Amino acid sequence: MSTAAAPGSRSQRSWAGRPVTFGRVLRSEWIKTATVPSTVILLAVSFAVMVGLGALVAWGIVQLASDPESGPPEGIGQSLQTAAYDVPSAGLPFGQLLIAALAVVLIGSEYTTGMIRSTMVAVPTRIPALLAKTLVIAVISFLVGVLAAFTTYLLAQPILGGSDLDFGLEADGVLPSIINTGTVLALIAIMGVGIGALLRNTAGGVVTLVGALFVLPIIAGLLTGLADWVEDAARFLPSSAAGQLVATQVQPGQFNQVEGGLILAGWAVVLLAAAILVLRKRDV
Amino acid sequence: MSTTSAPATSRRAVRTDGSGVNFARVMRSEWIKVTTLPSTVILLSVTLVVMVGLAALVAWSWATTAQMLADDPSMGPAMGVGNGMDLQAMVYDTPASGALFGQLLIAALAVVLVASEYSTGMIRSTMVAVPTRTPALLAKAIITALVAFVIGVAGAFASFLISQPLLAPENLDFGLDAPWVLPSIINTGTLLAGIAIMGVATGSLLRSTAGGVVTIIGVLFVLPVIIQLISGLADWIPDAARFLPSSAGSQLVATNIADGALNQLEGGLVLGGWAVLLLIVALIVTKRRDV
Amino acid sequence: MIEAHGLSKRYGSKTAVDNVSFTVEPGKVTGFLGPNGAGKSTTMRMIVGLDRPTAGTVTINGKPYAKHKAPLHEAGALLDAKAVHTRRSAYNHLRAMAATHGISNKRVNEVIELTGLEPVARKRVGGFSLGMGQRLGIAVALLGDPNTLILDEPVNGLDPEGVLWVRNLARGLASEGRTVFLSSHLMSEMAVTADHLIVIGRGRIIANAPIQDIIDGGGRQRTRVRTDHAADLLPVLEGRGAEITRVEDGLFEVSGADSRSIAEIALDRRILLTELTPIQVSLEDAYMELTRDDVEYKSHGFSQEPASAEPVVEGTRA
Repeated sequence: MSTAAAPGSRSQRSWAGRPVTFGRVLRSEWIKTATVPSTVILLAVSFAVMVGLGALVAWGIVQLASDPESGPPEGIGQSLQTAAYDVPSAGLPFGQLLIAALAVVLIGSEYTTGMIRSTMVAVPTRIPALLAKTLVIAVISFLVGVLAAFTTYLLAQPILGGSDLDFGLEADGVLPSIINTGTVLALIAIMGVGIGALLRNTAGGVVTLVGALFVLPIIAGLLTGLADWVEDAARFLPSSAAGQLVATQVQPGQFNQVEGGLILAGWAVVLLAAAILVLRKRDV
Repeated sequence: MSTTSAPATSRRAVRTDGSGVNFARVMRSEWIKVTTLPSTVILLSVTLVVMVGLAALVAWSWATTAQMLADDPSMGPAMGVGNGMDLQAMVYDTPASGALFGQLLIAALAVVLVASEYSTGMIRSTMVAVPTRTPALLAKAIITALVAFVIGVAGAFASFLISQPLLAPENLDFGLDAPWVLPSIINTGTLLAGIAIMGVATGSLLRSTAGGVVTIIGVLFVLPVIIQLISGLADWIPDAARFLPSSAGSQLVATNIADGALNQLEGGLVLGGWAVLLLIVALIVTKRRDV
Repeated sequence: MIEAHGLSKRYGSKTAVDNVSFTVEPGKVTGFLGPNGAGKSTTMRMIVGLDRPTAGTVTINGKPYAKHKAPLHEAGALLDAKAVHTRRSAYNHLRAMAATHGISNKRVNEVIELTGLEPVARKRVGGFSLGMGQRLGIAVALLGDPNTLILDEPVNGLDPEGVLWVRNLARGLASEGRTVFLSSHLMSEMAVTADHLIVIGRGRIIANAPIQDIIDGGGRQRTRVRTDHAADLLPVLEGRGAEITRVEDGLFEVSGADSRSIAEIALDRRILLTELTPIQVSLEDAYMELTRDDVEYKSHGFSQEPASAEPVVEGTRA
């Protein structure tokens, strides 16, 4: 121990009674999210892989274009050009996986490490902390999504140009598709926070959300014969809704972008609302 | 608890044979670990129930399809049943249809069983009891695989039993002697065992519950989607995609083999190859790394 | 017996343990002391094979820990009481550990009884208090009835009864001829428990000697002297090489002369002394002195002034 005298007298404190405001809670959640190195790395990896995947898809389309024997990949009615319009959002499956996991982990790990107790002591009304965290993660996910889609768009033009398949931002549905790549990731992030807060368990939350996003559609496919409504109901799955939200073309019988967005948002809101309700009641 | 006197245990009373750690004992220790965590037992039961439930739904789905086809044969293509396709043969896959869900849960469970040892610090206790380390991880993989195998076989068999009454009204029911059905049931167990080993390896390599779960689910369920997206990229991609663990796994339990697809044995070998490869890497890394 | 030769551990550019050599002898309690971050835990982890040394070797009874056929019978370690799965009961945790060596349930129940865990043995470890968790860790260490005990902060979180119990346990085991190696920050406990001390600072051994030598070597003899005739007495003492510090009017601390010599000098000059008290050097003082320059994480503020400013003393170096 050094032999310094005790610090300045108590009357010199200037921090008497600054209250908790949402702005401050928001800043706190921002610091929490941005200061975990693995979070930053994960976001960077998401970005890189989404862009890489999009570039590969673009390249794949070019291959198909140069091979006169193989037909368009997406079934009757869709030309290679319109398939190219979907390239900027092509990285979405991977982005969904990582963002879903990240969102669940960011809230789940607060519970498993016990950090949640610190948070709830600092913000005893609890809801602002959850909302602030959700907002921070959603905004970050949105930005990553939009940036990745836009970068993919830029990267794809030279690749597609070789087969005269390049296009501008004004092409049908392209700009909304790019922006909505961000929207999908943001909404999935909100679902992740909701599930993570409900289950309070990282592994369980990740399995549930990723299972719902990737395995449920497969199961629904298996069960199409079960009843007429199965196929219709499957359109309401979050992954299907997400697909429609970023689609540049809407096939007959499918939801359009707005409907897809509302359905996905519905899932997010329901999960978040459930989490909020439970958070108020439960012991931490 | 005596506070003032030293422990009165006689010094050599504990050692019965002095032979210390052997693999059988390590296996027994891992068995105790798996069975004394209530959440594990619950999760395994849930897996079983969901597998069977899913298979029942699939059986019911087939029955409904058959009924609709009987009423109106022209609906065939719309329901995914082409001309000349034998509905009966497709139904043989029903007992294994719950395996999809089983894979998801078993993969996650296997990862968590190992990764949680790291996150709780329990791994340090384990590695102090078994400082050579390899037997502990190997035993853990074997025990988890055995449990997964049993769940797989039990689940598939129960699925088989429950689907017969559902299929019978449309004359689609079948016996264990139907082509490839019994192997399919047993190999559901093999499939889950292979997935379990991959999960254990992933969990010990990444040492993180979230990271491990995301990785293994990503490899099993998202990677195929991504490969599909880029299948136009090169000719060899669809061919190579057959060697993904999930694709190989489906072939392992298939009752019909499509043209060009791996057969059951090949599927099993590929899946086994993945499992063994990952496990070996995990064993090497665990041995060398600081705990 | 634990023998370390040239043991080193580097993490990237940071050296946690630097060329450390020592022997921990059986039949006595050896204390392992050092400031936070000095390398105590790292050293102990290397002894039981959790960390791989960057250089050097450490053996228990002649063989590295991992090479023993029955490691838990050779050495029992309490390194980290939290190294348990939170949802498992204490009883099942012990059973799982015991099973690796074929240790019977009877022994599991014995150690539960020994460590006072019966009331909570079937409860989930996650709900344990700090002290209960420590007892479980000690139970695990005792499971194999080992020749060597390695205990890292065993009294952490224990109530006074528990602290006394650990002291008696350590001393009892040592008296049976076993090797007991324990680290602690609780100086007062260490002073009455340990026979021998190894002090480590910034990854290096600072001292390795019987406890009494360390206490004796820690600081020069100090004596409190109260007199009305300081002006007559003090220059004489200073002339003999003593150092004087004024505490208050008429009260002084003399360093470097024992009470008898001071009394004789005073008597020679007919100076009245109204207080003459040798100041006992505590282990804490000796330790603080030894590690003054080797503290990794110094805290600041809210501290008392030390009684006197003493010159740095070398102490016995290993």
